[in-house]
Amino acid sequence: MPDGIELEVVGLTRRYSPEVTVGPISFEVRAGEFFSLLGPSGCGKTTTLRCIAGFEALDAGSIRLRGERLDDKPPHRRDVGLVFQNYALFPHLTVFDNIAFGLRLRHVAKPQIAERVGRILRLVDLPEMAARFPAQLSGGQQQRVAIARSLVLEPQILMFDEPLSNLDFKLRIQMRDELKSLQRRLGKTAIYVTHDQTEALALSDRIAVLSHGRIEQIGTPGDIYERPATTFVAEFIGSSNLIAGHVVARRDGEAIVETQTGLRLRCAANGDDGSGAVSVLIRPERIRVEAPGSPAGSDDNCFAARIIEVTYLGEDLHIGMELDGGQVVRAALKNTGAARSWAVAQLVEIVVDPADLRLLRR
Amino acid sequence: MSLQSPAPHPNPLPASGAREFPENGPRAFPLPVGRGEGQGEGQATATRASARPVWGVLTGPYALFLLCLLIVPFANVALYSVHPYSPTHIVLPEFTWDNYRKILDLYYLRLFARTLQLGLVTTIICALLGYPLAYWLARARPRMQTIGLFLVIMPLMVSTVIRIFGWIVILGRKGLINEALIGLGLAPLKLLYTETAVVIGLVNIFMPFMVLPLMSAIERIPPSLEEAARNLGANWLQMFRRTILPLSLPGLISGSLLVYSVSISAFVTPALMGSPRERMAGQQIYDEVLVSFNWPSASSLALTLVLFTLLLMFAALFATRRAGRIEPGSRETSP
Repeated sequence: MPDGIELEVVGLTRRYSPEVTVGPISFEVRAGEFFSLLGPSGCGKTTTLRCIAGFEALDAGSIRLRGERLDDKPPHRRDVGLVFQNYALFPHLTVFDNIAFGLRLRHVAKPQIAERVGRILRLVDLPEMAARFPAQLSGGQQQRVAIARSLVLEPQILMFDEPLSNLDFKLRIQMRDELKSLQRRLGKTAIYVTHDQTEALALSDRIAVLSHGRIEQIGTPGDIYERPATTFVAEFIGSSNLIAGHVVARRDGEAIVETQTGLRLRCAANGDDGSGAVSVLIRPERIRVEAPGSPAGSDDNCFAARIIEVTYLGEDLHIGMELDGGQVVRAALKNTGAARSWAVAQLVEIVVDPADLRLLRR
Repeated sequence: MSLQSPAPHPNPLPASGAREFPENGPRAFPLPVGRGEGQGEGQATATRASARPVWGVLTGPYALFLLCLLIVPFANVALYSVHPYSPTHIVLPEFTWDNYRKILDLYYLRLFARTLQLGLVTTIICALLGYPLAYWLARARPRMQTIGLFLVIMPLMVSTVIRIFGWIVILGRKGLINEALIGLGLAPLKLLYTETAVVIGLVNIFMPFMVLPLMSAIERIPPSLEEAARNLGANWLQMFRRTILPLSLPGLISGSLLVYSVSISAFVTPALMGSPRERMAGQQIYDEVLVSFNWPSASSLALTLVLFTLLLMFAALFATRRAGRIEPGSRETSP
């Protein structure tokens, strides 16, 4: 086992039926790392988490925690904390008793229980809530109690199953930041399951993107967003324009792609993008929209377009444009300057830096 | 009221119909199942102004039914119970507590003690056998749950007499069990016409009354609570004792209460399966009404039994409410 690897999942497989299978999934989580499993519902991320926690049995593969086999232990002997999506607080117990639940099972002495619960309540900023019942707490407070309840046992790994999905938007952002700072402060290894890419990008050191029970890509948030490995990742993370085409020429680190609508795009030949049929990924915020005949228009990747749609989002404007030949692309512009005057049916030119294009095998 | 002119056979059973289902039994059933307070309150405040006349229309017909066929006859019984018995007139128009004083006789004390004890044993057995069943039903897949529920409720759909005849065939002196014992070279047991037989019969019929409220209570406990307890280091038994059991307590109380109150007022089962010498209160009341025509005595017995059951109901209701006070939490934490 290489040093610093906390959790090692090898070939994890869970078969529900011949058609519905999760895995094989393999990944490693490093000590102190915030690792996310990201994917749409039904992609197997929660199954993976439940396998680690011991609520689902593996059909194949193994899970090791610090080199020690985990998958043959019953759930109560695994020493991995899990924060549930609905928090799963015990409604018949006070906040204090909820947090003391695990300590009592471990026969910790009474004064020590009081001391440790008190300390953890201060850590999650709820010291005066000890005597309340869960029903008397707000969603965010319940969330913090659920984290405290797992954290007080000092598990080797803390796992979260979509912990923010039941909170409203503002609270979600606030709890997200709190969660991150808490994890940083404690240096605790965390595995975080979510379908929300923004959450995953904001929180994680590394992300595993899952689809249909398989891992599509593992990487840092930057990797995943800037250099998606597959069209699935490109479409799932952020918004994207994917244009189908063929590589027709290559010269000094660049590839020329001819799209199906007859446009020629000059791309930085990044990655192992193959040779034949490709998709070109253009992130909407990397598209510049200029008035026709502007000096920037001399570039290769410059196309005439007609605005067909303007969506006003406050901070941003989303602009849909049709290129010659019918190809539609979407651009995301900041709501400032010239962008504010764009209107439907206006003729414009779009400019894309070759380095901002990414080739993906189709 | 028919006090002044006691016709010999005005109505064979003044209190109500079959004693197998006492007055409070059927009515009490929805009460423990829908025990949440918060929910009802919210609905009531939201619709109070507009819904008031509708309430009367919705509950009126049954209220009228109850008034004519339960409250009035019952008041009649209460009146009988404080009048002296006369062999010629059945009831004399005088006031007396003698019918109640008589209950303190050893014979009646034993009768009540036996009745309450049989009820208790039946309830405990129903709880022990019903709890695992209710847990399984609550956690089963919808299809299995439907099948299981059907099987649990089945005994209620078979006529009491036919069901008891079945038990006689099994438990009788030359019944299935004893034939098997003899075949194995063992001595036959006296099963039928004993208290054991009565308990077996009562458990068989009243099991649904235990299982249904328990199941609905367990169903409300999110499975994630079980997993959370396991994740925090509880083995299955610790998890059960610390989460499922306390959270299902309201259901267990309602179920026990239902089984207990219908058991102590059972009549047909003890009459057909029990010992004629060791009777239960229901049989005694029946005999005093129909055989000795001592309606005042029967009324005092019936009223005592009903009052005892009511007392128990309120005690349990109080306990359930206290347990239910924390109940809204389980709803809010698990939307």
